[in-house]
Amino acid sequence: MKILKKCPILVGIVVITIALSIVSFIFKDTVYAGYADKYESGDIPLLALALKGATDEVFPWSNASQEALLPQDMQPDEPDASTQQEESVTDTETPGDQPEPEEAAYISGDDVSEDSISGDSEDITYEFTEVDDDYFTDALFIGDSRTVGLSEYCEPLDTRATFYAKISLTIFDVFKKEFIKTDEGRIGLEEALTQNQYGKIYIMLGLNEIGTGDSEYFKNAYAEVIDKIRELQPDAIIYIQGIMHVTAHKSDVDKNFNNEKINVRNAAISELADNKNVFYIDMNEAVDDEGGNLEEGLSFDDIHLKASSYERWYEFLLHNAIVR
Amino acid sequence: MVNFSDLNFIFRFLPVFLIAFYLTPVRFRTWTLLFGSLLFYAVGDLRMFPALLAAVVVNYLFAKAQSGEKSKSMLFFILAIDAGMLIEFKILGQYVDSSLLPIGISFYIFKMISYQMDVYRGKYSQDASFVDVAAYFTMFPQVVSGPIMRYERYSENSMLREKTSPGQIAESIEDGLRFFVAGLAMKVLLADHLAMLWRDIGTIGYESISTPLAWLGAVTYSLELYFDFWGYSLMASGIGVMIGFPFITNFDHPYGSGSVSEFYRRWHVTLGSWFRDYIYIPLGGSRKGQFRTVINLLVVWLITGFWHGITPNFIIWGLVLGLIIVCERLFVLKKLPAPVSKFAGKFNVLVLIPLTWVVFAISDFDMLGCYFSRLFPFTGSGISVNRGDFFKNIGIYWTVLLPSLILLIPRVYDFWVNRRNRVVFNIIWIILFWACVYSLAGAAGNPFMYFRF
Repeated sequence: MKILKKCPILVGIVVITIALSIVSFIFKDTVYAGYADKYESGDIPLLALALKGATDEVFPWSNASQEALLPQDMQPDEPDASTQQEESVTDTETPGDQPEPEEAAYISGDDVSEDSISGDSEDITYEFTEVDDDYFTDALFIGDSRTVGLSEYCEPLDTRATFYAKISLTIFDVFKKEFIKTDEGRIGLEEALTQNQYGKIYIMLGLNEIGTGDSEYFKNAYAEVIDKIRELQPDAIIYIQGIMHVTAHKSDVDKNFNNEKINVRNAAISELADNKNVFYIDMNEAVDDEGGNLEEGLSFDDIHLKASSYERWYEFLLHNAIVR
Repeated sequence: MVNFSDLNFIFRFLPVFLIAFYLTPVRFRTWTLLFGSLLFYAVGDLRMFPALLAAVVVNYLFAKAQSGEKSKSMLFFILAIDAGMLIEFKILGQYVDSSLLPIGISFYIFKMISYQMDVYRGKYSQDASFVDVAAYFTMFPQVVSGPIMRYERYSENSMLREKTSPGQIAESIEDGLRFFVAGLAMKVLLADHLAMLWRDIGTIGYESISTPLAWLGAVTYSLELYFDFWGYSLMASGIGVMIGFPFITNFDHPYGSGSVSEFYRRWHVTLGSWFRDYIYIPLGGSRKGQFRTVINLLVVWLITGFWHGITPNFIIWGLVLGLIIVCERLFVLKKLPAPVSKFAGKFNVLVLIPLTWVVFAISDFDMLGCYFSRLFPFTGSGISVNRGDFFKNIGIYWTVLLPSLILLIPRVYDFWVNRRNRVVFNIIWIILFWACVYSLAGAAGNPFMYFRF
């Protein structure tokens, strides 16, 4: 008791430290398996497992299998896929091409047929043409922080188009998170797309999740999203936008956020285009330097366009539009 | 690990060190401090570890040689070695590779210079032992970024000389912990989040920010710097208290100052007094007439600017501050009627100082010019400016900005200091500590910007 009176803060810290360490130790190989290698390599103390878990809303009472990042409604339909999902989450020793061992590991769901997006079978080929500002009055943009930037710094778009964009949005949670602000509060994408119809839907997602899974897994998740959007918006032209590059300064040193990886993923999602309803466009040609990296002068933080550079993206969209 | 706001420091190094330190018999405690500090440094910067060792040994030997007759030439020689080493590494770090700049070199060299000059001035009657001198130079709470404690304060530590009861030890640790947690919270919960806003402003691009956002940016960066460094200093002083050293005040509510000269007596106090005692006064200070005073002030501020970095913005930053201080000395505080000079002094602290921090922050000259053209939009209205950017960012960051501004009021901190052992503060401090640790565990904090100065 004397020590508690003399050192209340110290006691408070020590007791909680011990408690968190015990929790971390007990669940180190189950719930916290995704973080355990950071502890084992000496990067973080044992108690950090419980705290890191809490940041990701992983708690000792969480069921390990529920922590799959894939939302329920996006999981592949095949009956055996969901069991694979469950097994894979607790599996920390992930095979070869898993780039981020500390993140929860996945085995991609069963193949989604590449031809799953079937448009009308008429044999019309569409060409990209130039349009004017008003093309975007019935357009919707879905994306992460980069699209947020487009909404804030591209006035002709902001005044015409709709933006469902949120910082750190990923293809995995685009249908899962309630990120769309309305007068009645926040709603999810499914609800928003049920309430409103759009003529064009532009998507740019994929940078935040570039360390998660492999490109096949990413592509499948992307295909699920496209299918679902098609279902909700059968008349819309869907543009899959290739992920914008980062600068050489970033690309050369980062094991995840580099243009090599971005290009692989872009190649994967470009295959989802059917050129009838779903089109692939790559705005990188408008912002790249000769080395295929985002031009240094266009970005301050090597990842986002500066406000004054969004003009290039917009110009690209004006020149690469589909008119049906 | 050499970052106090690193989980490995908080949960591994510090507790193990404290236990080892207090289990060591008093006679050998200084050795524990020395070895612990060397280990701390070696983990942080093994490659430059020999430079620290060599500097310690050489400085000890030179100081010892001064114990009888004082030799001025010998003093100059060792000062030249110390200053030369600092300048050489700074140039190497700037122009060749930043990893060539040993961690904390300015701070241990400053301690060495002050020690040599004080020994020469006959300040210490007794010869210090090697282990004391070495532990003083290298002690881990201060080796990275100060505070630049003087040797006489080092000698005040009774934990290194006398037997102390477990009760006293517990009290020291607890009180040090209070300051440590206060500093940690400033660093992690305030400074690191303010840094995000400053980064966001960069992401937009300075040419595209609205004028209100530009001013918000100047305030944000000023606050970030303040809480980063005040927080760091509180953590350092708090660790010092845990092992028996007196509390070293490094920040004394600078934004409560009435003039820029006062601001810099209260900002990074130990650095300011170091410049005063070992550069300004040896140059003649203010005793050799007005002209020499002005020159001496400008020299001190030019050196301060160079010390922060060898890019033009730091030189300008130092010279501008030197000029403001000279103006204050010769004109504002002397010639103007009292209410006007009081207002001018406050204006300088609250408006000019944040602007000088902008100069400090942006090393690229064109970008700096661009930022000022947004602060003072006389030349144009910027490119693709979003008029709503100010309120958007206030909406996101007010939870950090508001407490930061409140903490600028000296009475708020003093209120806590005077009542810091109340139960309610103990509870809040435990919560603060875990809030910091939670935040640190979730995201990798950005390293402290004064690291390699």
